[in-house]
Amino acid sequence: MIERVLVANRGEIAVRILRACRSMGIEAVVAHSEADRDSRAVLMADEAICIGPADSARSYLSAAAVISAALVSGCDAIHPGYGFLSEDDAFAEMTRAHDLVFIGPSAEVLERFASKAGTRGLLARHGLPTVPGSEGMLRDDDDAMAEAERIGYPVLIKPSAGGGGKGMRMVRTPRELQQALTVCRSEARAAFGDDSLYLEKWLEQTRHVEVQVIVDEHGRGVHVGERDCSVQRRHQKILEEAPSPALDEATRTQLAEAAVSAAVAAGYQNVGTLEFLVDGSGRYYFIEINARIQVEHPVTEMLSGIDIVAEQIRLAAGEPLGYGQEAVRLRGHAIEFRINAEDVRADFLPQVGVVTNYVPPGGAGIRMESHLYSGYEVPPYYDSLLGKLIVWGPDREAAMARSRVALQELVVEGLATNIPFHRAILEDPTFLAGGFDTNLLDRRGAAAFLDAVATSDQA
Amino acid sequence: MSQPGTERPALQGDVTELADLAEEIVPALIARLRASRLAELEVRSAGWRIRLRRDLTASRPQPSAALGVSAAAVSEDEAVGVARSPAVGYFSPGELLVVGRSVVVGDSLGSVDVLGIAQEVSAPVSGILGVVLAEAGQAVEYGQALAEIVSLEPEAEAAEGGAEGATTAPREGEMSRADSVATAAQA
Repeated sequence: MIERVLVANRGEIAVRILRACRSMGIEAVVAHSEADRDSRAVLMADEAICIGPADSARSYLSAAAVISAALVSGCDAIHPGYGFLSEDDAFAEMTRAHDLVFIGPSAEVLERFASKAGTRGLLARHGLPTVPGSEGMLRDDDDAMAEAERIGYPVLIKPSAGGGGKGMRMVRTPRELQQALTVCRSEARAAFGDDSLYLEKWLEQTRHVEVQVIVDEHGRGVHVGERDCSVQRRHQKILEEAPSPALDEATRTQLAEAAVSAAVAAGYQNVGTLEFLVDGSGRYYFIEINARIQVEHPVTEMLSGIDIVAEQIRLAAGEPLGYGQEAVRLRGHAIEFRINAEDVRADFLPQVGVVTNYVPPGGAGIRMESHLYSGYEVPPYYDSLLGKLIVWGPDREAAMARSRVALQELVVEGLATNIPFHRAILEDPTFLAGGFDTNLLDRRGAAAFLDAVATSDQA
Repeated sequence: MSQPGTERPALQGDVTELADLAEEIVPALIARLRASRLAELEVRSAGWRIRLRRDLTASRPQPSAALGVSAAAVSEDEAVGVARSPAVGYFSPGELLVVGRSVVVGDSLGSVDVLGIAQEVSAPVSGILGVVLAEAGQAVEYGQALAEIVSLEPEAEAAEGGAEGATTAPREGEMSRADSVATAAQA
């Protein structure tokens, strides 16, 4: 039984976890860095505890600081949120060694799925098709060149650890590969402390579709449908929706069932997401598993009515799932807009400063997940996510109509945000037709969208 | 700050003028006096007169033992440095952490136990330990104030004040801010 949780994260997800805890009658202590003293989660918390300086390496990424904070504040569990220590098996092990519950997969499960290449091999053995790629990690440049020739250009260089587009490059020629390897290695080393890379065949015009799974420690699992995250800029998701406009019903069901049965068979536990690329003909390829709560989880919550964070906590406490696939009903359509502090006119440059005015939207099917308040100062040390606007409608058209209203209502003043960009996407014919692929934004270039932004600003 | 007890009733203008005197004019005059070799400085203006005096013989460093009691009573805004927790954990005071004790910058004042590993709490400035703010075994967070260091030594203070960003308020004997303001008010 979990009674008091240390929330070891910041921003909107800290607020989200805090609310889930409260709704379950669990106390929440928010661990924060010096730069986040005035954050909304800290202000809302039953108790807040400063764990280190602004530098996340000494605060949110410090296993010792987080665990010590949990112990001195009398917590019996730690929720790591996403990013930071959320998928760190050594941290999960250390948490357990101090008799605390790690809210997520166990250390063994995290370790089993830690390597992306290893996970691809493991899930391929359990029936999931994978993108053709290099055999394990690249040993050196010569190995990379040979593997790329074998797979066939273009290829995507990917780091074994981490995510968020760091250390990733698509290359079309051996010459580009040679140059990109050095850059990717140093990016991966800086971001994740691990510079091992692998190659994947680059599939043109693919959709990014992911399946949410929930699995208890007794091996019982369900899927909660898929999410389409094809609207990306340089491998960063901007907008997500469910169900995916790219799948027919038969493929949708087949994909979700294949994902959950492979995850269960491979020994996955707690909540997780299996990411796939889907090509123009509806063929899907497994790419990786995210062993954590994801930014875009509310999309699935809107369709299913399941509180995924509450499920995470319940399952981490050892409770059985308690329901089967037939109990999971998905209704309507939902879209999530990531609201970032970015100046779209300055190549999406991250912004910092004081939010002078914040007014969230409301109405039927509207949900705002954010840590903003009027007067909040966005610190320069962390990512630019200010919140998420999630909109549900009985169908895609209704969801988009509500989204337009909500994006007009949403006020974030004091610094530039990508809200105008979202408004522009909602006017884009390709998006409206459900035809967005993962590279469309980069292929068209920001300029084409900026023109659309200008038009929608004047409207 | 107390209201002046004079024949004139205290009007809003007086209060504002007093605030200006206390916050701007007096500190500026004190700084002038300190920079000079003078023992006394008097300034007159329309409605007020200030006289600042200092005892040049009392500006020598004093033995810390004699300060045991008075140092503890020094108010918060006279602290020249605050020893803070280097981590989140349980606090253990060190032998030097005694009110009135003289410490040198870098001295260990105790430690914070983080999962069994002691992280040292050190004195950020030299001076006299004023108030101790945490007890043995207390859970402390990163950056939490554990002890205040005050200084009654003008020379030491001048040397360290800049580096630590400490207040420039005067601490010499009778040249306290309150005294000067009281003099000014009665003029």
